[in-house]
Amino acid sequence: MNELVVSELHAGYGGAQVLHGVSFTVGEGEIGAILGPNGAGKTTLLRALSGMVKGRGSVRLDGVELLGSSPDTLARRGVAHVPEGRGTFMPLTVEENLRLGAYVRRSGVDADLDRIYGYFPALKPRLKQAAGSLSGGEQQMLALGRALMLRPRLLLLDEPSLGLAPLVTRELFRIVRAINEQERTTVVVVEQNAHLALGIAQQAHVLETGRIVLSGTAARIRADEQVAQSYLGYRV
Amino acid sequence: MNESPVSTGESTATVSSGSAAGAVPRARAGVARWRWAVAGLLLLAAVYAPFQLVPFHVFQLTMVLVYALALLGLNLLVGHAGQISLGHGAFFAVGAYATAIPLARWDVPHLVTLPIAAGVAFLLGLALGLPAMRLRGLYLALVTLAIAIFLVPLLKRFEEVTGGSMGLTLPKPAPPAWTGLAEDQWLYFLALAVALVAFGLAAGLLRSRVGRALHAIRDNEAAAEVMGVRLSYYKTLAFAWSALFAGAAGCVYTWVIGFVSPDSFVVTLSITLLAGIVVGGLGSQAGPLFGALFVMFVPSISQDVNKAAPGVIFGLLIIAVMYVAPTGLAGLAGRAADSLKKTLRKG
Ligand SMILES: Nc1ncnc2c1ncn2[C@@H]1O[C@H](COP(=O)(O)OP(=O)(O)O)[C@@H](O)[C@H]1O
Ligand SMILES: [Mg+2]
Repeated sequence: MNELVVSELHAGYGGAQVLHGVSFTVGEGEIGAILGPNGAGKTTLLRALSGMVKGRGSVRLDGVELLGSSPDTLARRGVAHVPEGRGTFMPLTVEENLRLGAYVRRSGVDADLDRIYGYFPALKPRLKQAAGSLSGGEQQMLALGRALMLRPRLLLLDEPSLGLAPLVTRELFRIVRAINEQERTTVVVVEQNAHLALGIAQQAHVLETGRIVLSGTAARIRADEQVAQSYLGYRV
Repeated sequence: MNESPVSTGESTATVSSGSAAGAVPRARAGVARWRWAVAGLLLLAAVYAPFQLVPFHVFQLTMVLVYALALLGLNLLVGHAGQISLGHGAFFAVGAYATAIPLARWDVPHLVTLPIAAGVAFLLGLALGLPAMRLRGLYLALVTLAIAIFLVPLLKRFEEVTGGSMGLTLPKPAPPAWTGLAEDQWLYFLALAVALVAFGLAAGLLRSRVGRALHAIRDNEAAAEVMGVRLSYYKTLAFAWSALFAGAAGCVYTWVIGFVSPDSFVVTLSITLLAGIVVGGLGSQAGPLFGALFVMFVPSISQDVNKAAPGVIFGLLIIAVMYVAPTGLAGLAGRAADSLKKTLRKG
């Protein structure tokens, strides 16, 4: 149903092309990991999927073309993007941030808030606090919670582990996995922390200078020592 | 004592509950009670003042309310939605003329002119906002400035309707006999009533879904958009609402002064208003009131200090305030109140 099929996606900024024909598929309710070094175009890829940058080619969710629509239209269609830097509204309270996540809906917002506290109990006592006063880990939880408020069909996560302590990151990925299993949300997660991302994903794709240079099951990519060394920069 | 303090700090934060939980709502309730008390006292003083002051001072307070009304609108646009306008005075003028023309031509009752002025300003704001709000930053500032610049010659040009450079002289609303009020007191209470309704409206608007959308746009446009907030729609709406309040201010201004002419609405008005809201406190509820006091009294004070160059003194005072209180006078007052509360609690 909510299968994501990206084919021959080209995108960039003004004259500068960043993505040169990217193709991959994330199955319904699965997690796809996009790995790759800094500057490979991972953020740009997610921006193209959520309409923040224009792209050519095709991006289909459940068979429906997403390319060419504005970000707010795509949000209405169930694409939730947790951007690089989290996009937290610092001066607003935690609750206001969460309610903004459900901006496209008027009904069922309170019930959804309760659902979010289920995943992130730490947020509940901080509802009336300014989001800017949260720790980095809590802010990432808030960003994820805010994205869930949309009741997304497709969840895009841009380097959720950035700047977080290892323990917090592991907890975060555990929650992403739980969300994916319980809500059957299709997830695309961009990461430099390949190890953790491969731990929760079914499929993984390695992006280098705007091209997918390797695709495979997460298990296979993790097992392939040569891949690990040449593309992911770590030893297994 | 710990090999990785960062990680423990983060992880306790994620699982924490209890301790901070109880304190937060109580502190909030304290703040709310404090606010209501201040608002109540202010209102009492506002009702009491016109019976204690000489007519000229009552008139000055009335003008403070008029400016506060205009700044309320500007605060919505600049402080809450994060968009710049150098043409707010133009909507003030539109409200003034939308009041003056029906009064002069058809002798309509004064109260009827309020919805007319607010409505005309709102619609004009909508019409101009639609294209203007697709622009950002400096371009938006220039376009709104252009609106303010072109208005004066336009008003002079359509002389049969606007009275040209001579302007229009109008009757002021007369106090009903049962009130026993003098004219200046009656005008003051009219302005107070309009201002109270407007502040209530704006507060309601900002607490709603619309308010959240405006704040989101101000804080992070791109993030707001990926959450489904339609930028052009809300920016245009904020522009139109800000015009509506400016229009209402122009209307009350016309009631109070009983005269309009193009030269009352030159570009300086727009710039003074923008300076007023920045000095008063952007995005703060009390900001428009502090800004209005500044706009009303500081130019005349600067006139007293130096007759030759009041503009220079005014400018220097703005710089001084921004240096001492970067979040505006409202922020300064808030900080003063906080430290006062702390001292009281300790003592
Ligand atoms: N807003 C932008 N405008 C112009 N170029 C950009 C912008 N953002 C990123 N780029 C360029 O696009 C390329 C890919 O960047 P990005 O997608 O952020 O990579 P990654 O997320 O994989 O680190 C880089 O060369 C970067 O300089
Ligand atoms: Mg990136």
